[in-house]
Amino acid sequence: MAIEIPTLPDQMPNDTPRYVGKAVNRVEDPALVSGTVQFIDNLSLPGMLHCAILRSPHPHARILSIKVDAALAAEGVAAVLTGEDVRRWTNPCFTAPEGWGNYCMAVDKVRFVGEPVVAIAASSRYLAEDALELVEIEYEPLPPVANPEQAMAPGAPVIFEERGTNVILSRTYTWGELDRVFSEADRVVSRRFRWNRVGANPTETFGCICQWDLADNSLTCHGAYQTPRFMAIGRAACLNLPANRIRIITHPQGGGFGGKGGPRGTDIAALLSRKAQGRPVKYIEDRMEYLLAGGGQSWDRYYDAALAVKADGTVTGFRVRLVDDQGAGAEGYGTISAAKPLAAFTGNYRIEAAGYDLTLVATNRAPTYPYRGYGPPPHNLVLESLMDCTARELGIDPAELRRRNYIRPEQFPYTVPSGNEYDSGNYEAVLDRVLELADYKALRERQAEARAQGRLVGIGVVNTVEPGVFDWNAYATVGVPGVGVPEGVKVAIDLFGNVTVAVGFNLQGQGQFTVAAQVAADYFGIDMAQVRIANTPSDVALPHFGQGGSRLGVAVTGATLGACEKLRLILCKVAAHVMQAPEDAVALRNGRLHRVDAPAHSMSLAEVAGLMLSRTDLLPAGVEPCPEATYVWASPNRNAPDDQGRCRSYLTAANATHIALVEVDRDTGRTHILDYSIVDDCGTRLNPANVEGQLQGGVAQGVGAALYEEYVYDADCQPLVSTFVDYLIPTIHEVPMTRKDHIVTPSPVAPLGAKGCGEGAIHTTPATLLCAINDALAPLGKELLETPASPHRLWKLLHEDVRRT
Amino acid sequence: MASKQRIEVRVNQTTYVREVEPRLTLADFLRHELHLGGTHVGCEHGICGACTVLIDGNSARACLTLAVQADGSEVTTVESLRDRDTGALHPIQQAFVDGHGLQCGFCTPGFMMTTLELLRDIPDPSDEQIKEALGGNLCRCTGYQSILESVKLAAQRMKSNAPA
Repeated sequence: MAIEIPTLPDQMPNDTPRYVGKAVNRVEDPALVSGTVQFIDNLSLPGMLHCAILRSPHPHARILSIKVDAALAAEGVAAVLTGEDVRRWTNPCFTAPEGWGNYCMAVDKVRFVGEPVVAIAASSRYLAEDALELVEIEYEPLPPVANPEQAMAPGAPVIFEERGTNVILSRTYTWGELDRVFSEADRVVSRRFRWNRVGANPTETFGCICQWDLADNSLTCHGAYQTPRFMAIGRAACLNLPANRIRIITHPQGGGFGGKGGPRGTDIAALLSRKAQGRPVKYIEDRMEYLLAGGGQSWDRYYDAALAVKADGTVTGFRVRLVDDQGAGAEGYGTISAAKPLAAFTGNYRIEAAGYDLTLVATNRAPTYPYRGYGPPPHNLVLESLMDCTARELGIDPAELRRRNYIRPEQFPYTVPSGNEYDSGNYEAVLDRVLELADYKALRERQAEARAQGRLVGIGVVNTVEPGVFDWNAYATVGVPGVGVPEGVKVAIDLFGNVTVAVGFNLQGQGQFTVAAQVAADYFGIDMAQVRIANTPSDVALPHFGQGGSRLGVAVTGATLGACEKLRLILCKVAAHVMQAPEDAVALRNGRLHRVDAPAHSMSLAEVAGLMLSRTDLLPAGVEPCPEATYVWASPNRNAPDDQGRCRSYLTAANATHIALVEVDRDTGRTHILDYSIVDDCGTRLNPANVEGQLQGGVAQGVGAALYEEYVYDADCQPLVSTFVDYLIPTIHEVPMTRKDHIVTPSPVAPLGAKGCGEGAIHTTPATLLCAINDALAPLGKELLETPASPHRLWKLLHEDVRRT
Repeated sequence: MASKQRIEVRVNQTTYVREVEPRLTLADFLRHELHLGGTHVGCEHGICGACTVLIDGNSARACLTLAVQADGSEVTTVESLRDRDTGALHPIQQAFVDGHGLQCGFCTPGFMMTTLELLRDIPDPSDEQIKEALGGNLCRCTGYQSILESVKLAAQRMKSNAPA
């Protein structure tokens, strides 16, 4: 029978929910603050070896010879792995589009600085690193392909020889009458933008312990895995093992933000274990390895974009040409970052036609991976910057221009030209509230005073739509198959009425264990302390994905509710049988199973569950002695894309407007954030403290991307960033303490009305800051259309005229 | 390999005597020799502050300190914070929980050890003093606002519990 998932909290069988919607303390936290959580490097297994990896110093080179004899003879060394082993035993990883994957270690040639070439397992990491120094490798350097322009030039060196080209994908989408709206426009506002490469940089790097059972031909991997089952399938394909002989045990992770999972590191440690007769091998990526070649470098983009605008400020068309530097292949699914913008291509606006000309190019930079936001942060920077340019050209206030173009509340559900359907929203209410919260009028007065003093002060008012709850169909554009992303849980009640929710993922920071506990506790009317969330290994877990795509909070809520609903039906049946009532005469309410016709007659959860587990003689026919239920949730009503990539992809559409006041220091080029306000609407806020944490954390990463962070490569494709001294993560001094408020427009289609909310702030903050900076520079007639707007970049812009004279 | 050296270190009020290689970092010594896994390692070059411990009462990077340098010293780690008898959280820990001052929790031990030093020296710090103290600890999750609030909450609670 069909299970109905409640779409509002008051549809749960509880008159006074105690947890959902409240900023309750997280179940994760007592162990985390105690320092007792088992992050992967806190685990040691008997007989464990430690892996160290020798990496390529060249961006592009042929490997002529590798000598490992001395390393093999070194103290403590148990196994050495080279490209020859990898060629013999494994396959290149699968990619989307197909055929752009690398092996886990270089075979015949290296394609980027930091690519693994030799790996050693020894009795300690110190000894493994000592042995690396004894390895001799002879390279023949090849000309590097440093950027997309070089990559696409006639006669360019080809990075993947069998492909015959460096262009991974090139295609054009046209949604609506694009040529007509541009030809009928009163004004076309166009700019070119450069978004330089940034990355996730969770505080914990990737780590794993892999053990290859040579008798059973099976592999067990403990590690910091974001998407356990996905990782298991990938390992099966790369390592030529049956998928059901791979067991991924995911540990709590010190942040993720996209690239957590380390397929290369996992395969290398697994193969070393195989060579070391099945001893467990630990690999802990260090920060320099992460910065050179870890998963998480993202968005290396060149944009040429335009808006078609009517004289009254109505925007009718949005045309984007994107050239995206994917680095050395598509192993990290960086390609998907170019596809995701389809889910909200035209933002908050009623833009009737849009076009997307997309070229993904391979270079000898490190391969790109997902990073929080997965593509929209640069896309929104382009769209919102063009809105500001339009406002300036038309002499309209930027907030007012946006307001005129909003999708109106009565238009939802609203299908955007690129195909996705927004579930609900009230953009004008959000804008009004943030203008009030920030006291926008006063900010403009402050700006006017500052300008009169010759100071460079600017304001950014930027709104975005955050697609939440991803679906594979959103990525069909780059060759990802499938519709629907399952997330499964099992809810079990024990003899004493305690509840366990078994999930397929582990902690990463967003608080999904707490959300599941809140939902289960309120559903069954029990104390949250009676609920335990348990992680299950990938081989026995229900189908699941884990964190990603602003999805898991909503998905685990749906899965938990679904399992609770199934359990309720069983419990009611048993209680009715025991109370000698018709089956439909018993209902679950406030934690007890009542006779509807005689509410004084009721049983507790523990009574029914206990009876089920211990008195089969009292059970109705056909009922198993099992007060447990599973449910695998997936977004309802998704569909396959058409030939222009259009489909109902992301389930929810949250939105937010940010207002920033900044000052650019003329002498140093440094941007100071003087004031920052946020109003967002992500529907029902399951745990408001979690939501605020997601917002503020996204702001911090947005500040980094907009002002400081950049993976710099020189003209020969050598990375210049290898430490946190070079890659500038914002500290408490750089991140604004923001003023926040929200409105609530529940999703009509998502569990409890909650929308995905993990990425909205990083979607919005970079654009907000760049718009504010350009507002500050406007009196000088200057514009910066490149990120990060770092002090040196702004200083050069401010002083270019002086230098020329 | 260089010969091992004998060191005697007092960690969280327990004395340990060990033979260690001179190149062994204090972070690795604490984590892998003494199995005190709460001191986390985020960068191993002294920037992120996740490995912050107190050495003789002063905050220090365990990743940039060699174990042999701690010979004869008193080292305090996050594992010392909970009450040994009752298991109760330290007011700083409880404030981070109540103030949602963490998400993934990986950087949190470093922040709390820095806060322990700060509130010992300045029981009633201003926002600026808190930022100054925490400016050497990186957090990639929270955006720092809830950390700032948690430290203020801890200060307030510790002050009101302090003997007059």
